[in-house]
Amino acid sequence: MLCTFCELKTKVLSRQPQLLCACAAEFEAWLLFFRMAADNSVLLGLVEEFVSGQVDSKAAETVTGSALSLTSSQPQTRGRGVQLLSQVLQECYSSLSEKELEVLLAFYENRLKDHYVIIPHVLQGLKALTECSVLPPGSAVSILRSIFQDLHVQVNTFLKGLGADFIFGFVQSVDGERDPRNLLLAFQVARNIIHRGYGLGKFVEELFEVMSCYFPIDFSPVSTAVFQTASERVESAGLSAVSALVSCLSRSVLSSDSEDVLQVFLSLVLKDCQHHLCEPDLKLVWPSAKLLQAAAGASYRASLIVSAAVIPALLEQYNNRTQVRSLLMYFSLCLLHKHTEDSVLVAFQQSLCSVVFSALTESSAGLQVTATGVLTALGQQPGLLAQTDVEKAVDHLTRLILEEDDTKVSLAVVECSGSLAHLHPKAFISRLIPRLKEEILSGQSDAAVRQRCVTALASVSSLPSVVQESAPILLQVLASAHTGTHSFYSKISFLIIFSTLLFSYRSASRMASQAVSLFLDGDVSFLPENAFPSQIQLLQRKKQHLWDSSCHSFTSRQVEIPEIDRLLVQLEDLSCTCPHLFSYTSAAKCFAGLVNKRPAGEALDAVLERVMKRISVELENVSSAQRTQAFTLLLWVSKALLLRYHPLSTALTDKLFALLSDPALGSQVADGFCVLMSDSLDVLNRNCHADVRIMYRQRFFAENSTKLIQGFNSAEQEEKSCYLKALSHIVSNLPRQIQLTELPALLPLLLEALSCADQAVQLSTLSCLQPVLLEPPAAIRNQLEALFSRLLALTTSPVMKVRIASLQCVHALSRLPEHMVLPFRARVLKALAVPLDDKKRLVRIKAMVARGEWFLLGSPGGK
Amino acid sequence: MSGGTRLENANPLIFQRSGERLLTATDEDEDLADPIDDREIFDLIRSISDPEHPLSLEELNVVEQMRVNVNDEESTVSVEFTPTIPHCSMATLIGLSIKVKLLRSLPDRFKIDVHITPGTHASEDAVNKQLADKERVAAALENSQLLEVVNQCLSTRTM
Repeated sequence: MLCTFCELKTKVLSRQPQLLCACAAEFEAWLLFFRMAADNSVLLGLVEEFVSGQVDSKAAETVTGSALSLTSSQPQTRGRGVQLLSQVLQECYSSLSEKELEVLLAFYENRLKDHYVIIPHVLQGLKALTECSVLPPGSAVSILRSIFQDLHVQVNTFLKGLGADFIFGFVQSVDGERDPRNLLLAFQVARNIIHRGYGLGKFVEELFEVMSCYFPIDFSPVSTAVFQTASERVESAGLSAVSALVSCLSRSVLSSDSEDVLQVFLSLVLKDCQHHLCEPDLKLVWPSAKLLQAAAGASYRASLIVSAAVIPALLEQYNNRTQVRSLLMYFSLCLLHKHTEDSVLVAFQQSLCSVVFSALTESSAGLQVTATGVLTALGQQPGLLAQTDVEKAVDHLTRLILEEDDTKVSLAVVECSGSLAHLHPKAFISRLIPRLKEEILSGQSDAAVRQRCVTALASVSSLPSVVQESAPILLQVLASAHTGTHSFYSKISFLIIFSTLLFSYRSASRMASQAVSLFLDGDVSFLPENAFPSQIQLLQRKKQHLWDSSCHSFTSRQVEIPEIDRLLVQLEDLSCTCPHLFSYTSAAKCFAGLVNKRPAGEALDAVLERVMKRISVELENVSSAQRTQAFTLLLWVSKALLLRYHPLSTALTDKLFALLSDPALGSQVADGFCVLMSDSLDVLNRNCHADVRIMYRQRFFAENSTKLIQGFNSAEQEEKSCYLKALSHIVSNLPRQIQLTELPALLPLLLEALSCADQAVQLSTLSCLQPVLLEPPAAIRNQLEALFSRLLALTTSPVMKVRIASLQCVHALSRLPEHMVLPFRARVLKALAVPLDDKKRLVRIKAMVARGEWFLLGSPGGK
Repeated sequence: MSGGTRLENANPLIFQRSGERLLTATDEDEDLADPIDDREIFDLIRSISDPEHPLSLEELNVVEQMRVNVNDEESTVSVEFTPTIPHCSMATLIGLSIKVKLLRSLPDRFKIDVHITPGTHASEDAVNKQLADKERVAAALENSQLLEVVNQCLSTRTM
């Protein structure tokens, strides 16, 4: 290259005398440098350092002592340097070797990031380089990518000016590309081309051809994982490129006599793909389907065109093959989602319905599930399901509920019933419900069928008209159910009420009053014929969890609950007297939910006073059988008041603290603090529109931590564990920040808790401790000895979870500053040898990890 | 390793990592004992780093689960590893890292045997002999530079 260069130098310099003196020698040196760089990878690295703006003194000495124009701080000077280089390259590009070309390409692509003055010269140089015959594979695409990435809008117009040439060149370079990484780039570039509105002109077809020849994506198996994930990415990139192309074409403006570009394009696509759909061997069905779906999904017009072509063909084929059926379902589902008006589908509405119904009678579960999806979508479009069709659908669904026991199918059927019932309730009321009622109450069907029926009833009960029919059935179910299965039925009832109230929010007050009246007065109509007192009690209990807080607490605060005082009295009675755990707890929760939402005033105060008196009397009577009930009520009412910052809450929580030392109730009370501080799912949370003030936990903790610590210090030995349990519940529910700031004061207590024999306390303390250890406060340094002894002792606890948690804490301790923990290293390593042989794998794994980290502590190469 | 020396195997084949072990119900049952099995040992050694590349031994296929054999009752464990190329000078180092990891992670009762997969390395006998010799291994770990390299291989990478 050097000799040709000498010739060319004279040629160039003769045309550019003003550049002559300043740059000639330096330029020669640069070209020499580039040449050397092509041979030596070290120098290549130096080149890259140069272009990123660093002046490396070593290489500068190698080349020349003077300041180089290519790395000058002045953009104009740099521009002139690049301009000269580009001009030379325009002359001598054919004699460059591949390696030299690579180096120059890297340099030029990097220069695209430079000042705008230089860019035109860079582009000229790139243009020259791209005309080389020995261009390395993939570089065309990477050049384009750098151009798109680094250039700004005004230069894009320059490229658009290149226009057709540019597109043609791109298409040519992508043609035949095999490397999936380059394909990915090519697809991305194609998308960019389309989205940035480059005039595709007459090259639409070429562009499509060059993109679509890669479908279906078929890779010969290669062992590396790179290629496998790449093929998926390439496929999805390709599909999105097609989508982009279609959506762009759909938006193009047509002149009155020109062809519809979209039609042309889509007819190309359809021509290619349609025959695959009906081929006997169905080899390329799914790839073609995906391609068609990508095209159809891109715009409304496209979906109309594609569906008009595809669906009739598939409908014709339907009876021949199962694959076709699934395909049809798949397409219908995709297309239905797109349509708001159904001008296209109305034409095949009848055949589509019959196809769906016959699919529902198939034995393939997947097909049935998709068919129910299609049915749901059909039902949601007005006019696609005639009345007779709705009735047929309901009959099919009923049959499936009663007969189909595949879980996926029954789930899909239930969902479909739910959404259809919301739109066409009458059909369901007249056909589904009576049939299911018959089945449920016949007493002869087996449990699984009954369960499905009840679940289906629950899901269709989204409108008041339906609930009116279904609720009595369920109540009857409850009334006649045995105690053992009541939890299941109560869950179902829960579901009905929940869904009813959610969907019919506007009629919430009406629902509430209906619910209340059913609860308070409804027992009359449901008394079983042989009414024994015990059975009435049973009924009361069951109704209790039916009309649980789910009913009352879900309604918003504005909804007036009729007869609320009567309700509160009943609930209070129930919660204080009923011996059944679930009932009195639910009654207490319900009461609390109502109290929480009751507006402040005389009425509320009166209620609270009454309740408190009753509770105190009950609790003071040590021999009473109902202390637990009273305590439960106290707990929930305290929570209700605590959440809303009611002034009486302090009195109640003080009472709870006092109860910690009660010999009978102590540990229950300690567990109760968990209820007090954590979020409960069914009542007194924000979803139920409860009155929850911010930071109530922090406030509670701030006001009561000293009391708690004092109580602990003055408590008897046996009672200490209750205080610790309460404390660990409270602390573990606090936000992290508070935990960290409070740790110094609480650490002695937590360490005490670690040596407490109660495993629940140990576990909650450990889980509380572990995140704190990850960012330990300075106070911990004084407590390390105690911490280590306790933690290491717990690694051999009989409870697996405690062992695991303590090992995690030991692991966390290895991250403390070395000077603090190094003295403990030998001891820890020795102690951890024991859980390495633990009988449970989960424990062993944690021990291995922890021990490994401790080995690395303070060891060379470790941290 | 250090800047100027050439890498022995500059373009190794990369294999896919296997996923995490699935938990079963028996794992969480307090009363049942889980014996130590091959997968457990494999999980220990698969994430050991290669001295040359930022890759794990599993990704380079130097260790495979089927070449791990453990017998909990007899307290023996045997690991065969396959160096990436037959003249790999890192073989001893890799073997040492595996051995150290097992020594640190298994109860004392275990007899640990680490050796090269037969037929995959030019000097496998010599390497195996070194790895089997307890005193040799202990002496090697006294060497702080060697220990440093081993510890670097054993440092857990965040994956």
